[in-house]
Amino acid sequence: MARIVLQRLLVSVIRFAAAGLALIVLIELAFCVIGGSDRHVWRAESYGPVPPGLSARPVSWAGLLEDRVRVSLPVLFICVPGILLIGYSWGILGARLRRFHGARLLAAPFSLFACVPGFWFVVLVAIYSYFHWKRPGFADDLIVEQGPDLLTWWHAAVVALPALAAGAASQIRAVSSVLEREVTRPYLRGLFMAGYSEEDIFYRHAFRRALPALFAAGDRTFSALAGSIVCLEYAFRYPGIGSLLVEAVRLGSYGGILVSAFVLAAFVSAGVIFCESASRLIKPEAAGG
Amino acid sequence: MNRRQSKVLRTLARLVIRLWQMRRVLLLVVPYLFLFGWLFAAGSRMDVRPGELYGVTDEPAWESPDADHWFGTTVNGADLFELSRLAMATSVSVAVVSVSFGIALALLVTMLFVFDPREKRFELLNVVGQSGFLLPSFVVLLVLTGGSGGSLGVAILGLILVIAFHLCPVLTTWFQEGEDGFDIVAGYALGLSRREIVMNRILPKILRRLVGVFATYVPVVVLVEMALSFLGFTGDRLSCGAMIAYGQGLIIEAPWMAIYPGLMATAVVLVLSLLGWRVSSAMRTGPLPRLF
Repeated sequence: MARIVLQRLLVSVIRFAAAGLALIVLIELAFCVIGGSDRHVWRAESYGPVPPGLSARPVSWAGLLEDRVRVSLPVLFICVPGILLIGYSWGILGARLRRFHGARLLAAPFSLFACVPGFWFVVLVAIYSYFHWKRPGFADDLIVEQGPDLLTWWHAAVVALPALAAGAASQIRAVSSVLEREVTRPYLRGLFMAGYSEEDIFYRHAFRRALPALFAAGDRTFSALAGSIVCLEYAFRYPGIGSLLVEAVRLGSYGGILVSAFVLAAFVSAGVIFCESASRLIKPEAAGG
Repeated sequence: MNRRQSKVLRTLARLVIRLWQMRRVLLLVVPYLFLFGWLFAAGSRMDVRPGELYGVTDEPAWESPDADHWFGTTVNGADLFELSRLAMATSVSVAVVSVSFGIALALLVTMLFVFDPREKRFELLNVVGQSGFLLPSFVVLLVLTGGSGGSLGVAILGLILVIAFHLCPVLTTWFQEGEDGFDIVAGYALGLSRREIVMNRILPKILRRLVGVFATYVPVVVLVEMALSFLGFTGDRLSCGAMIAYGQGLIIEAPWMAIYPGLMATAVVLVLSLLGWRVSSAMRTGPLPRLF
């Protein structure tokens, strides 16, 4: 087990380095080659201290990163378990009810919600909040000074909801498609002919044998989630890591871009390590299939 | 008595039979034609600047939604419904162009590896894909469009690259799956060359599925394009994203300016998504639509 986890970690470090290199090339291409800037990405003077546009108070890069990550954590805390929980449970149920187009029906509410532009949804919430609750709608308007900080969780939920819906829809479809592919294999027909019940065939054989593929199906969700959070946080004036990236791009701050993009890549990388390690650790034979 | 039908009747009968045979295709094509026809009926005007429409003056001429202006009007009195329609027409055009070129680029890149005689011919593509997925596509688009000053051309270029990058692993999987079939093994056993098998057996099936990919990618790219314009990274150009972004500044005085463009965008994306899922499932399995 330790060998597999270490191997995955090593592979992830190499991938992370490659992604970092690609990001640096991308910044140089966008800002200098296309944008015509003379601040090259390899020069130390292109970075400097944190610009005032990224933080109201004087702070180091590490401090800024800590502040922003702490704000983004509640959003991820809602999104990641929500997507995995809904995606896997409804996806498995959808595959089980494949005769009644279960996956399509169960994913439908999330897929429909995913058609709503997320940034528009958070603006709608801000408008509703202003007119119906008589309080400023955006996340940077009000600070709780005493009592339980429920407002933080409310703001995090507003940002997380559109991302969760889109992620859950794709996860349900991915999980159910893995299982539906597994149940078309010839050995299951043999089990059916041998007199096994449908439930037995699905849960005790098809599901167990598909476990590695099911775990592997989760890795692309993290990348999509990180991307959607960027736009949603900025739209809701939510001062997280996604907002930092947009503000840094606007200001042309290479340091801000690198810091925020690396954090997002690290988040995706952690998700991929988890999925890949779990997928390799679980052997279908050992699962009793 | 002459029992032969007249030429007109025979032609009509043949036409009806042909239309009946093509019913599955028509059921998918007609809604697309209606949608695109409706969107592009007012033409495409790239000279409309949202900054001018939403710039607040001393005496704004805006009107809230009523029977004449379903979505209300902007600061200078322009009808918001027509503007939203124009904006969506532009977004859909951008998405169609980006997805078409993205698919073409992905196919081109994958085809460069397909004829490699080695067993692990797609290894390099897979390695690049797995490393690149650590950087979210939206981050790549953001840096590319934001760093270059925000223009539609760069946004389209970025979208094409991102789509191709996402699609390459999918195409490699399809090529690998296509080679596992019994008919392919039989083809090899019968002495067909790899080129013949790929071009005549595997590629047609993949090309067929690409129509479904196109249909499902278009609404997603429309959403991404609107998100980029919401952030102001596709230039000062009419788009529902930019309209919502400008409308945010007026949510107390004129909230309809942020609400209704989003409603139009949601409706169009929803219709495109529903059609896309239907096209995708129709092209993936079952008998081929007669038109093809």
